Amino acid sequence: MRRADQVTGIVMLVFSLAVMEGARRMPPSGTFGPGAGFLPFWLGVAMAILSIALLINATRGPVQVSEASPFPRGHAIVAILKTAGALAAFILLLETLGFLLSIALLTAFLLRIVERMGWPTTVTVAIANAAGLYVVFQMLLGVSLPKNILGF
Amino acid sequence: MGIFDNILMGFQIALSWQNLLFCLIGTTYGTLIGVLPGIGPVVGVAILIPVTFGLNATTAIITMAGVYYGAMYGGSTTSILINVPGESASVVTCLDGYALARKGRAAPALGMAALASYFAGTLAVVLLTFIAPPLSGFALSFGPPEYFALAFMGLTLVTSLAGESMVKGLMSGVFGLIVACVGVDAISGEERFTFGFLSLLDGAGFIGVAVGLFAVAEVFCNLEESMEQVFLHAKFTLRSLFPNRQDWKDSLLPITRSSFMAFFLGNLPGAGATIASFLAYAMEKKLSKHPEKFGTGVMEGVAAPEAANNAAAGGSMVPLLALGIPSSATSAVLLGALMVHGLKPGPLLFQTSPEFVWGLIASMYIANIMLLILNLPLVGFWASLLRMPYKILMPLIVTISAVGVFTTDNNVFDMWVMFVFGVIGYLMRKLKFPAAPVVLALVLGPMVERTLRQSLTISHGDITIFFTRPISAVLIAIALISVFAPLLRGVMDWRKKVVEIS
Repeated sequence: MRRADQVTGIVMLVFSLAVMEGARRMPPSGTFGPGAGFLPFWLGVAMAILSIALLINATRGPVQVSEASPFPRGHAIVAILKTAGALAAFILLLETLGFLLSIALLTAFLLRIVERMGWPTTVTVAIANAAGLYVVFQMLLGVSLPKNILGF
Repeated sequence: MGIFDNILMGFQIALSWQNLLFCLIGTTYGTLIGVLPGIGPVVGVAILIPVTFGLNATTAIITMAGVYYGAMYGGSTTSILINVPGESASVVTCLDGYALARKGRAAPALGMAALASYFAGTLAVVLLTFIAPPLSGFALSFGPPEYFALAFMGLTLVTSLAGESMVKGLMSGVFGLIVACVGVDAISGEERFTFGFLSLLDGAGFIGVAVGLFAVAEVFCNLEESMEQVFLHAKFTLRSLFPNRQDWKDSLLPITRSSFMAFFLGNLPGAGATIASFLAYAMEKKLSKHPEKFGTGVMEGVAAPEAANNAAAGGSMVPLLALGIPSSATSAVLLGALMVHGLKPGPLLFQTSPEFVWGLIASMYIANIMLLILNLPLVGFWASLLRMPYKILMPLIVTISAVGVFTTDNNVFDMWVMFVFGVIGYLMRKLKFPAAPVVLALVLGPMVERTLRQSLTISHGDITIFFTRPISAVLIAIALISVFAPLLRGVMDWRKKVVEIS
């Protein structure tokens, strides 16, 4: 946790400096009173102070016996990366593949590749999920969901 | 018009067939959200915002408030039967609830949880009915400095109570305020932190942020641990669900105490249902004649926290309706929903939209009755849902979240916001940064900024305006004490040590 806090402190310090610089470039108020950059600038200052406090706490605090990283390794991190990757691919392809196909594919991927379910469960749940969401959102709620070139 | 005329008018609105139907849908869906582990009331309510967009504001908020209550009722079922909390406010219910189930007393424990929830929920609505109107009347005299002070106090209290480290909690809150600055500045019309994305002009979109931080991040976290569950089989005849005479004797006083304590705790910004349930359990353990039995399956160990989380959920409606200040992540999402539906939260709400406020309050009485029916005779149905393994639930949570966020504006960009905040939320959890202050700050941010700049414009840039007006001075003082008190305590401890050594 100590090393993780130190890294977080530095990352957030850089972030706060970027916020302050961004706020400084905003034009001052045309009339009297504070302008658009006023609050973001002071939030940046507050974040910088807190980041430094976090850094100091992490560096001065007692070294814990278990200095393990808070992040998982091996199988768990692979599962998380697969899920995140699948979600990103889904968002990218939603408007090309259409709603039904992309939801079914995402559900199937998560069940089969991430959770290692059998094919029968995978196929059944994927189809049922896509159909169920389609009925609720498109038919009951009247949302127009994305369609692919083939029209579904 | 007195309170009784108002509440009568409220019932006329709440008892329309449409509102009754949506109240039933909301409470049923809320119970489902509560029963299923891995998805809580924050996400349940956030997903409903786009779904209820076509309804009128009163019906929509009645539905969402029903979800909030329903989740409080449903969460206990999962805790008692599989020792996994259905949502965070039912974590302590696991301790004695699961122990009771292992002793073969699952049915009366479930019954007690539902009855305690009903008592506490109804008591909270009664108190809400009588406390909220005068509070909003008092708040009518507030100007921008008072509002800024109120929002500032709300944010600092939430931040100082959330999580283990004060610095990390404050960083979460400030981060949320920075995210709230994204978009066109409401006063000057200037673009801020939009990086050329058109979709960011009206802000990052809080549904995407909330669903990302709570649902997607939760899924990532759950992937790390195997969610194997041990399901306890129990028979649920209606008769077996009723606790016996001894159970009542043990639980009646704890339920009453916990309800009152949790209601007033729920009024305070920051102390949501989760904290209330922990405190109620701790309080009962301390007051009990046999504290050593807690954790081995005592009825009051289920009754007290289950009463507390419902009373706190009701209590959190007081500042939400009377002041326009949310006190927990879920009520922050509800406040966002109010704004999406064009209502202006604040003390004027009771005057500008009486049908809405009183309709909502009346619907809470009805929702509690519906939930008692849903959770007593039908508890067997909810229990059977728990046989669905998490492995199947996970993809459903991911897809429902993504579709819910997409349909807010029919915009792919909002899903990217959800994705990015899902990753941020996961990192925050791993690094022990609380997520609730981010959502709260995001919802309160625009108001904080507007009132701060208005105040400073009134005073020509003089910051003492916040300290010379009595109400705002008191509120700011409370906020500062909540931040600096732990520091002071640290100094005192240190001094004590020095004194002891010398």
